[in-house]
Amino acid sequence: MSLIEINDLSVEFHTGEDSVKAVSHASFDIKEGETFGLIGESGSGKSVIGLAILRLLPTNAEVSGNIFFQGQDIFSIKPSELRKIRGKHIALMPQNPAGSLNPVLKNGLQIKEVYEERGIDKKEGIKKALKLMEKLLLKDPEKLLDLYPHQLSGGMRQRLIACMSLSFEPELLIADEPTKGLDPEAKAGAVDLFTKIKKEYGKTMLLITHDLDLALEVCDRIAVMYAGEIVELDEASKVLSEPLHPYTRGLIRAHPRNGLVPLIGQSPSRIRLPEGCFFHERCKNSGFECSRQHPEMKTHNGGWIRCHFQSLQ
Amino acid sequence: MDNIFADKFRKEGLLLPEAYGSDFVKKVFQRKDMLFALVALLLFIGLALFAPLISPYNPNTIDLKNKNLSPSGEHLLGTDYLGRDLLSRILIGAQTSLSIAFGVVLISLLFGTVMGCAAGYYGGIVDETLSRVIDIFLSFPGVIFALTILGVLGSGVFNLILALSIVQWAHYARVMRGQVLSLKRQEFVLSAVTSGAGDFYIIRKHIVPNAIAPVLVLATIDLGHVILSIATLSFLGIGLPADIPEWGAMLSAGKEFMRTAPYQTIFPGLAITFFVVIFSILGDGIRDILDPNHEGGEIY
Amino acid sequence: MNYFVKRVGFMAITVFAVCALTFFLVNLIPGGTAELIIKHTIVGIEDSVTKEQLEQISSRYNLNDPLYLQFYTWVKKAILTGDIGTSYVFKKPVLYLLALRLPATIQLAGASMVLAAVAGISLGIYSALRENQLSDHILRVATLFGVSMPGFWVALILILIFSLKLKLVPVSGYGNLENLFLPAVALSLHSVAAVMRITRTCMLETMGQEYIMFAKSKGLPMWKIVSRHALKNAMLPIVTVIGFQMGSLLGGAVVIEKIFAWPGIGSLLVDSISARDLPMIQGCVLAIVTMFLVVNFIVDIIYTHLDPRIRYG
Repeated sequence: MSLIEINDLSVEFHTGEDSVKAVSHASFDIKEGETFGLIGESGSGKSVIGLAILRLLPTNAEVSGNIFFQGQDIFSIKPSELRKIRGKHIALMPQNPAGSLNPVLKNGLQIKEVYEERGIDKKEGIKKALKLMEKLLLKDPEKLLDLYPHQLSGGMRQRLIACMSLSFEPELLIADEPTKGLDPEAKAGAVDLFTKIKKEYGKTMLLITHDLDLALEVCDRIAVMYAGEIVELDEASKVLSEPLHPYTRGLIRAHPRNGLVPLIGQSPSRIRLPEGCFFHERCKNSGFECSRQHPEMKTHNGGWIRCHFQSLQ
Repeated sequence: MDNIFADKFRKEGLLLPEAYGSDFVKKVFQRKDMLFALVALLLFIGLALFAPLISPYNPNTIDLKNKNLSPSGEHLLGTDYLGRDLLSRILIGAQTSLSIAFGVVLISLLFGTVMGCAAGYYGGIVDETLSRVIDIFLSFPGVIFALTILGVLGSGVFNLILALSIVQWAHYARVMRGQVLSLKRQEFVLSAVTSGAGDFYIIRKHIVPNAIAPVLVLATIDLGHVILSIATLSFLGIGLPADIPEWGAMLSAGKEFMRTAPYQTIFPGLAITFFVVIFSILGDGIRDILDPNHEGGEIY
Repeated sequence: MNYFVKRVGFMAITVFAVCALTFFLVNLIPGGTAELIIKHTIVGIEDSVTKEQLEQISSRYNLNDPLYLQFYTWVKKAILTGDIGTSYVFKKPVLYLLALRLPATIQLAGASMVLAAVAGISLGIYSALRENQLSDHILRVATLFGVSMPGFWVALILILIFSLKLKLVPVSGYGNLENLFLPAVALSLHSVAAVMRITRTCMLETMGQEYIMFAKSKGLPMWKIVSRHALKNAMLPIVTVIGFQMGSLLGGAVVIEKIFAWPGIGSLLVDSISARDLPMIQGCVLAIVTMFLVVNFIVDIIYTHLDPRIRYG
């Protein structure tokens, strides 16, 4: 049974006269207990989907489509209902731990307030938090509570954020770029962390990342995004070992382990998207049809793909 | 778009970087508030310039038979306690305020820019000394300082310009110094230095043209401030001699008749407010265009 | 600690420089001092002064010495006995007269500063939370006029409305709360607008930060996000602007005190300038600059307490 269903989600940001199409017609669902990966390069719109689920997009974002969480339509519930879901049923692990912790508040307060909001006693909240912190490989948790975020290392900040997000063992955890900007050691730590989270909590997770190693390690299914669209969706092992979409292939070839062959060209402007397939300008297999007609999502071998080339085979 | 997404999009090339320089004029014309302020300013500068020609009355003609008249068809804004036409005096008052304000801003800008350049460019002991001097001048509340200078020197157009310039220059010097300090580390300046260009040449060719934008923003907003200061000092009877028509002095004379003829207080104040508003709009607008990432908001 | 020693040192240097500057300024006109002493003490202010009187007074008060020597004597006397001169008009020590007038100025400037901080910050927050809505636009136009209207004009208009037309408060006077009302409002208007502007800007910037988004994702209510997470971060520049406003408040106080016949240092300064009471002018300027420096020093101390990342070393 699917925990969350995203139907035809589109997000546009209005900036002055222009509008940026951040996400176009994305649809997928995440089943209970599953770890779903959204991968793609920066700016492909994957983080925007994560924020849309919690209605955290800025006011200049125009959203269409629906998101159903446990049958509730996220976009139409009242703000007070939404607040009950946030943090408790759906939690966000934001990208950039350094920027996501409030620099002028002590770590302890930032952990406590999550419990405080749910009417849990301060002492009990702290106790719970300490237990969680120990579990997530944080040393000397008591000492950390009295420090400010800037006094922690990058890896520690990320674990701290993980603690806050996991406070109530949420049904859905959205982890946004957990390895972005971390040094290799902390990166390896992050992979450990997520494996651990997955094993011990067994919770449903939406993992948004550009890190293919992490994706392969923890994801059950993967959706690949390009220029705001999902271009390929299938089981993680299938997508990463036998990619079908030319973009996914390029992405995998660009990985250091596979020879670091860079993708030529740039993502198209999202203010004026190209006609036809969004990827055709960079695609080696681009044919006549690709520059004329925008491809639709099609089933293929149990997965989904958005490509004309595939249909020609 | 002032949220984290703007930066993100710009960094990732989804939004084009803001254009500078060449289409400055075009941008001014795109902003309705600036366009409005510019048209209003030009209109009123024109009115002030041709005040003697278009004023319905001679601003200095005393007509005691018609003193303290309320606004009417004959005297659109009424008359003052000596029967002088208020509209004519307010128009001619614009000449006084604007010319003194331009004078003050020009002098303090030139002097401040030179001092700021010297401090930033030469560094070391020159910078140490000048920076202390700038700090000390900035630690005075401006009006108090000008008041004291005028109190000692006596009132008059020249003394007023001098006093206000002494108060204002340090602001320009501080901004200029900051600009020069950051420019000095830029490659094109460094390469000019290594290629053996003279100090004066480098300052004139490389530093000033690149550092001047924020100074001009400050100057625009400053015009409004200086108009306010002039009015305040004249209101206290310290700025200008009584025979020069000036808004602050008009207000001061008008306040004696506030009970019976409040318009003598209201209209000159509106004139001051009007000009200060215009210069604020223009200054803020120029800053927004030149530096879209500026946090903006505050005037000082 | 080191930083504060430096800061106090700079304050002392500034006060000294202000002393020197005003001393040389008021003694700028050769023979002016002697002439004024004679006019104030021996003959009338309108009478002419003879050459003999001039010479007599000049030699009695060492006025023929070079200025720096006179300044040296003045400083020595000021430090050893606290004597910074005697007012020509009141024939009393300047320090004594300043002490008499100081409470009224502190009362007025203090009330205005509190008003500026409270009204400015709350209106600024309101405006930021209603960004680009009608009430925000109205408030922004109001601030534009607030910073542009001359304070003395506002004072006159307030008198016109509240004292002459509505007869709610007396035109002038000192001692009661109702006397303080109009002067404080007139004096603070400019600062309210300035504080409101910076608050709006900083709140908007802060509300777009990642830690605010994360706080929202925790399910915190809006008022907690604003008061706990956003305001404390936005506070630094706001406090700086409030400190700067002290300068404009003290400058504005001169004219506001004069209009409302408020017995403070500002009106004393204006009267002394009209009477060319040189020692009194110098004393007033000294007092005002010292107040300004002290307030900014306090602002600096508040600064370090607001942001844990600032550690003056």
